[in-house]
Amino acid sequence: MQKSLVQRLQRLLPFVTLALLFIALTIATPHFLTAVNLASVARQTAVINIMALGMTLVIISGGIDLSVGSTLAVAGLFGTMAIKAGQPIPLAIAIGIGTGLFCGFLNGLMITQLRISPFIVTLGTLEAYRGLALVVSKGLPVHEIPDAFSFLGDGNLLGIPFSLWVLAACAVAMHFLLENTKLGRYSFAIGSNQSAAYYAGVPIKFHLTAVYAIAGMLAGLAGMVEASRLMTGQPTAGQSYELQAIAAVVIGGGSLQGGEGSVVGTLIGAFIIGLLSNGSDLLGINPYWQQVTIGAIIIAAVGFDEFRKRRFATA
Amino acid sequence: MLLSLQGIRKSFGGVQALSNGNLDVAEGEVHLLMGENGAGKSTLMKIVAGMYRRDAGEMLWRGQPVSFARPAEAAAHGVAMVHQESLLAPHLSIAENIFLGRETNSKIGWVRRRAIVEKARRVISELGFHLEPETSVARLSPAGKQLVEICRAVAQGSSLLIFDEPTSSLSESETKEVFRIVRELCRRGLGVIYITHRLEELRSIGDRVTVLRDGATVHTGSLEGLSRDQLIQYMVGRSVNATYHRESLPPGEPLLRVEGLSRGFVRDISFTLRAGEIVGLGGLMGAGRTELCRVLFGLDPAETGVVEVAGRRVNPKSPRQAVTSGVALIPEDRQNNGLALKLSIAHNITMPDLGRVSRIGILNKRAETAVASDYRERLRIRCTTPRQIAGRLSGGNQQKIVIAKWVARGARVFLFDEPTRGIDVAAKQEVFEEMDRLARAGAAILMVSSELPELLQVADRVLVMREGRITGELTCPTTQEEIMRLAAPLHVAVEAIQ
Repeated sequence: MQKSLVQRLQRLLPFVTLALLFIALTIATPHFLTAVNLASVARQTAVINIMALGMTLVIISGGIDLSVGSTLAVAGLFGTMAIKAGQPIPLAIAIGIGTGLFCGFLNGLMITQLRISPFIVTLGTLEAYRGLALVVSKGLPVHEIPDAFSFLGDGNLLGIPFSLWVLAACAVAMHFLLENTKLGRYSFAIGSNQSAAYYAGVPIKFHLTAVYAIAGMLAGLAGMVEASRLMTGQPTAGQSYELQAIAAVVIGGGSLQGGEGSVVGTLIGAFIIGLLSNGSDLLGINPYWQQVTIGAIIIAAVGFDEFRKRRFATA
Repeated sequence: MLLSLQGIRKSFGGVQALSNGNLDVAEGEVHLLMGENGAGKSTLMKIVAGMYRRDAGEMLWRGQPVSFARPAEAAAHGVAMVHQESLLAPHLSIAENIFLGRETNSKIGWVRRRAIVEKARRVISELGFHLEPETSVARLSPAGKQLVEICRAVAQGSSLLIFDEPTSSLSESETKEVFRIVRELCRRGLGVIYITHRLEELRSIGDRVTVLRDGATVHTGSLEGLSRDQLIQYMVGRSVNATYHRESLPPGEPLLRVEGLSRGFVRDISFTLRAGEIVGLGGLMGAGRTELCRVLFGLDPAETGVVEVAGRRVNPKSPRQAVTSGVALIPEDRQNNGLALKLSIAHNITMPDLGRVSRIGILNKRAETAVASDYRERLRIRCTTPRQIAGRLSGGNQQKIVIAKWVARGARVFLFDEPTRGIDVAAKQEVFEEMDRLARAGAAILMVSSELPELLQVADRVLVMREGRITGELTCPTTQEEIMRLAAPLHVAVEAIQ
């Protein structure tokens, strides 16, 4: 009984941190709790957040995807190139998402068919996809995109940033996937104990490939949102975003050993990072210190996670 | 007394590994620690070596109460352990390994290579080994690695050495060498604890013996005057189990037919399992019983031969194919292969059959909960709610989850690989009863067990394997001696019968 109470508190820790941060910033500066500022936080975090949702699924399945930042760049580039070539905007967005899906699918194939660890495969494609983006664009960004495209990243719907609607839709879909579908359940099973899942007859290769394809697809969508926000297709976009996405998952209670993680946790993790950087800007704190703070929070979150695991060791 | 342990307790998660561990060792004594797999031998010794912390109990070192929080602390007191699987750094030399962690004989942290090599050479020759200190450890045989670990222990000035089943990976001549070394160490006044479950080894080496069973010390005393049968009785606790006896049924239609099956060293296996039958599969360690189960379950597909389930040719190439055809495996290593410990009881039960509680990939949670609760009740899994995490339960309850998931899947052929390993006596009983219920409901069961009394209690007939082949079939009632006669290589069989 006592143990479960402690565990419940541990689950709530990320949420409590976020709430305290929110209250502290509200008190510390009058510029924080304004519609304009909050909308800007939402827009800034939406891109990382969408990627982090895919990362949640990957991490739950016991893997990692380092290539999502590069995937974002390739997808954004192909999408904006399609717009520039005169394709309708919805089709261009679909092309961007499809590009991401394909990149993720390739990751999944290499992981399951060649049996190379996800870390190595996606470390490879982190480089390769980025290189591909630079080759295709010859290193130059895609400019002069029709203004209508900016709606995805900068527009408002019912007074709320459109990218936040997109994020909300993705979050609901991912939550449903994790909680109510076979794919979600198998991801937990594979991440918790791949061998036991195999012995139970779970088709592991198929589901793992799907997991990476979905993560790539979300990175592709994030790439289109990012391109729309910046109104360019940058081959250098999204650098080190993968690390921020991983950080969001981990701060939100995901375990790199697999089998643990949640959409709500990841969203909280991403918003903690978002609020920290926004708060530092508002308070005029040196941006270099932001990096130090975020780094410390990642280590504290994982350290706490390990502490919790040791107490519940099954050796 | 060098070391004295009293009432040591230790549990992992919900699994009680040790409930009452008692043992004492004097200087210059070789003390044997015996027991079946899962009896708690290694756990007890890891507590002594500072690798685990005990939950309760008393540990005295030279009469003083102690508690070792880290292996380094145990080493500083003079306790060293020679492991079953080598814990050496493979890319360092023998000399570097011997002095690993203690090479700071120069003040600023330099490693004085030549001094270390010389010191290592001295230790090695003192013990009469033939090792070249500058050789890399990766190039040594398992026996050579153990010698290095022994050198390390001696160089550290240890006064108690723990050998964890040192001969399990050694040849006969290497085994003799280990015995010689153990006697030499003991002549020098060191205490030795020697873990083994091989009965053949005892008399050539030990003075006294402690037997653990199900986490508790059941016997301590001199080896003299202790018969082999008494020892076995202490280890398996036959009298406790002998109460269970199964009524056999008239066998029904053939459910599993295997003919001419070969894979690796498993050769030319043929047999038939009928509905309502429980067939034992006996044999020594390494006879190929687990390997046969792996072939039947599609983990290692067969090279030649036929596997038919309920009259249909299957020859599974993956567990998925085996599961689809109605074959279930309750694996030997439950924690690694049988269960997702982080997931709930309910999610473990429905894992092999999510298709039944879902449509187009979307789960029907209400149906899932109903299935899980139903089978949780049927198997009498003790828990507060099916949402409880599987890793928190006892070994017996975990085993019941593994069985429940296959019953829920509707499997008809069950392969039980050492189903009672690491679970307590009462839970064993329940596992047997469940096997009986399954058989009565028309399933066919193949049960692998190293505990012969278990096979004799539960099985209708026993197939015996030796060196990858089936060497005979015995219809119950039969005797342990009959099984051993078919299971053991000739020279051991003679010794066993005496």
